[in-house]
Amino acid sequence: MVKRILIAGSVAALVAANAGEVAAQGFKPTRPIEFLVHTGPGGGNDLLARAISNIVEKEKLLPVRMQVTNKTGGGGITAMSYLSEKKGETHTIALFANTWVNGPLMSKEAKVTLKDLTPIVRLVTEPGVIVVKADSPYKSLKDFIDDAKKQPGQLKQSGGSIGSRDNIVRQLLMKNTGTQWAYISFPGGGERRAALLGGHVQIMVMDPQEAGEHLRNGSLRILAQIAEKRMASLPDVPTVPEAGFNIPNYLVIRGVVGPPDMPAEAVKFWEAFFAKVAKTAAWKKYLADNLFEDGFQTTAELVKFVDVFTEQARTVLKDAGVKIYR
Amino acid sequence: MNRGEVVSGVVLAALGGYIVSEAAHWEYLGPDGPGPGFFPLWYGAAMIVLSAVLVVQNFLAKATVAGRPVNWREVGRVLIVWAGFAVSVALLKVLGFILSFGLFVLFMVAGMYRRPLRVAISVAVGCAAGFYLVFPFALDVRLPIGVLGF
Amino acid sequence: MEIFSGLLQGFAVALTPVNIMWCFIGCFLGTIVGILPGLGPPATIAMLLPLTFQMNPTSAVIMLAGIYYGAKYGGSTTSILLNVPGESASVVTCLDGYQMARNGRGGAALGIAAIASFIAGTFGVIMLMLVAPPLAKFALAFSSPEYFALMCMGLAMVVLLAGKSMVKALLAMLVGLWIAGMGTDLFTAESRFTFGQAELLDGIDFVVVAIGVFALGEVLGNMETREGVAMLPVPKGLRNLLPNVEELKACRFAFLNGSVVGFIIGILPGAGSTVASFISYGIEKAVSKHPEKFGTGVPEGVAAPEGANNAETGGAMVPMLTLGIPGSGTTAILLAAFILWGLKPGPLMIQDNPELFWGLVASMYIGNVILLILNIPLIPLFAQILKLSQYVLYPIIFGISVVGVYSVSDSLFDLSLLTFFGLLGYCMRKLDYPQAPLILGLVLGDAMERALRQSLMMSQGDLSILVSRPLSAGMLVLTALVLAVPMFRKANAWRMKAID
Repeated sequence: MVKRILIAGSVAALVAANAGEVAAQGFKPTRPIEFLVHTGPGGGNDLLARAISNIVEKEKLLPVRMQVTNKTGGGGITAMSYLSEKKGETHTIALFANTWVNGPLMSKEAKVTLKDLTPIVRLVTEPGVIVVKADSPYKSLKDFIDDAKKQPGQLKQSGGSIGSRDNIVRQLLMKNTGTQWAYISFPGGGERRAALLGGHVQIMVMDPQEAGEHLRNGSLRILAQIAEKRMASLPDVPTVPEAGFNIPNYLVIRGVVGPPDMPAEAVKFWEAFFAKVAKTAAWKKYLADNLFEDGFQTTAELVKFVDVFTEQARTVLKDAGVKIYR
Repeated sequence: MNRGEVVSGVVLAALGGYIVSEAAHWEYLGPDGPGPGFFPLWYGAAMIVLSAVLVVQNFLAKATVAGRPVNWREVGRVLIVWAGFAVSVALLKVLGFILSFGLFVLFMVAGMYRRPLRVAISVAVGCAAGFYLVFPFALDVRLPIGVLGF
Repeated sequence: MEIFSGLLQGFAVALTPVNIMWCFIGCFLGTIVGILPGLGPPATIAMLLPLTFQMNPTSAVIMLAGIYYGAKYGGSTTSILLNVPGESASVVTCLDGYQMARNGRGGAALGIAAIASFIAGTFGVIMLMLVAPPLAKFALAFSSPEYFALMCMGLAMVVLLAGKSMVKALLAMLVGLWIAGMGTDLFTAESRFTFGQAELLDGIDFVVVAIGVFALGEVLGNMETREGVAMLPVPKGLRNLLPNVEELKACRFAFLNGSVVGFIIGILPGAGSTVASFISYGIEKAVSKHPEKFGTGVPEGVAAPEGANNAETGGAMVPMLTLGIPGSGTTAILLAAFILWGLKPGPLMIQDNPELFWGLVASMYIGNVILLILNIPLIPLFAQILKLSQYVLYPIIFGISVVGVYSVSDSLFDLSLLTFFGLLGYCMRKLDYPQAPLILGLVLGDAMERALRQSLMMSQGDLSILVSRPLSAGMLVLTALVLAVPMFRKANAWRMKAID
């Protein structure tokens, strides 16, 4: 009798002791993880995803493999549709970018927005640089804006599609200063740079990486940087607010998102997981090499941020005359 | 008069009309230059005009220049093959490539080419196996996978 | 001379056994990739990138360049033997190459393709070496107005591809333009002709249309009777499998044409090998003494586009290596690879990494030789494919088409599009609508519209920008001349008749 009570008691004690742990453990991956990106192999998000999975493998942060899958199309809309079909799935996550927020605003065919999915964390923010040709008469951003004031609509900027950061920064600057200059879209970075270097446009927004090589051979000049604070590699270049133009810092962001209705414990797991990744030395080195900023945000912060970010884009694009559907 | 030309001319004219009507919804000339409606309007209009020319040409052609009569039996064979292919593509989601393609080969060899059944089966199996070995196995090229997992 | 010392240094690097091996592996992989429709060099290179991190950069570059070249050589094989374009630029090779195969001259066509590719590829490398920096400046002067003029010139080729009915050729081209316009408009984010389908937001991939219309259209056409269309038996004996002297002689101008046109167009960022092969084919037909024979299987109809295709790879390297601006999809990935390895392409690259640059150039020569040696003996092997019984061969072609399209986009939607385009291809054959103008419209339509709108944005709506710049004005004049060719010919024939 006493024995039975003792055994029952110890079992109960053991269960109680472990119950706390079990509740905390919750979700743990048991199958390979599908890590979705919306670009083809070699594209921006693809390289980032592969870098992440490399770090995870080296530091053995997961008991299972991370498999990068490419689902291209519509600037992210195909990937978003694919993800939205995997309701409740815990082993599929995706890397999102700006287009996941802006795309659904502008396109009738999109069936799902970023809010409909499960935002998990924000990982990086990418600064940009405003560049002109090295032999251009503009030595500062103010020079360019002054010239634009004198000849409204005559100066030209090359860039990507109208929903891209290039154009949004342009819209913000134009509104802030009351000036106007033209924007010409080119589908590829190579063509945009060729247009600038060939003198067909006067200014463009670039990634600091892209600009790096041209700086070295002296073909381009950076007027200002689009970042929260000055990058370590460009200590002498003013940020846009420092250059005298107080516009909101519209960021290029990348983060992780999950399918709709992802169970809360899985979300917590992924949030903690990526927080761990973001603390590794390998990750910090990756950020430094690529001139990215650590823009880590937890799930709660990200959800708030997405709202602000979406509204920012919506206002700017509406002002620019783009048809907004959502 | 070539009936095929007349029919295709009418179809293309209708397509041109559709294109022009869609183009009317978009900006023709924007502040910065031609808008998304500019090009479609022009090539849609050109399509209508050229199709009209095609149809008219046929009506004006001398009666002695007869078009070749259509051999509907031959066309029918083609349509059956095409339907078989369409079905096998539709089944890819369910059966996956290996099975679906194997069935299609079977259909072609036994049904269209009237080869004996055992020849058809061996060719079907051979082709399906060959594709599996070359593509997903050796070259790591993904093939459509069905509910059965392959 | 600096160039020669650099080149010698390059050969010293490229001719090491290890690098020859990597070159060979690259060429071999590239040939296979080229043969398989759909899977193209950009995707292959991207997939192999992680492996290359373990290799030393020079060897890796050599291998990747080998893939690039090899794919061009391989793409012609399926185009000629099966009317399946191995990659977008091989579409033009299908026109005469497949007909040559049907006439029993398949081996000869493969040989001519290999030889033209070798000559043009070598030409491209030599030009790259000699004139890269000044050409780079030329590339920068080329902007949207010039692109527009170039695209117009390309579209004007439809006049030369027309055959009997100009009206039908133009209608086919217009349909191609319409398909090209499907998708999200770059400038306004407006979506056009997407029928509410998210899958159509990026438009329809060229590969889907080309394989559907050409390959499936052809196979369906052969299904009309159980016996199908008899291909003339493959002649026996190696001598009959290789091009004979008359065929080679007929190609003399084509070799030059392909090399020059391909290289020049390759230099321009954004213009690709498909445009180059169409224009080269068009020029060849325009200057030919027997233009009406094009499309029935004339050797120069194979030599010109194949040459242009290969010379374009040399040209595309010019802006990439000298300016750091990629000239095509493949060079964009090569550029990304360079940056990942810590190399910085640009004017300083030749100074900073001479052994890499010259090693690459030297390996291009070697790659061309290797590919020629690889391909010629393989011709009898490939030609055996034609001997396969129809009931085995045709289902296989269906299968390859599906795999090819799926490998590009993983999309079942694209496969249903493929099915539709197969039927369209068959209808076009039956109704005698030429297929090449459809492809031409599809390839060029989008680019031409973009270039026009960009030009007008640059000039604030002033149309004269197109003629005030010397380069674009020159090309528009050439376009007008091309359009006038059939009229000259008709007038001439008229005169001849009148004299009789």
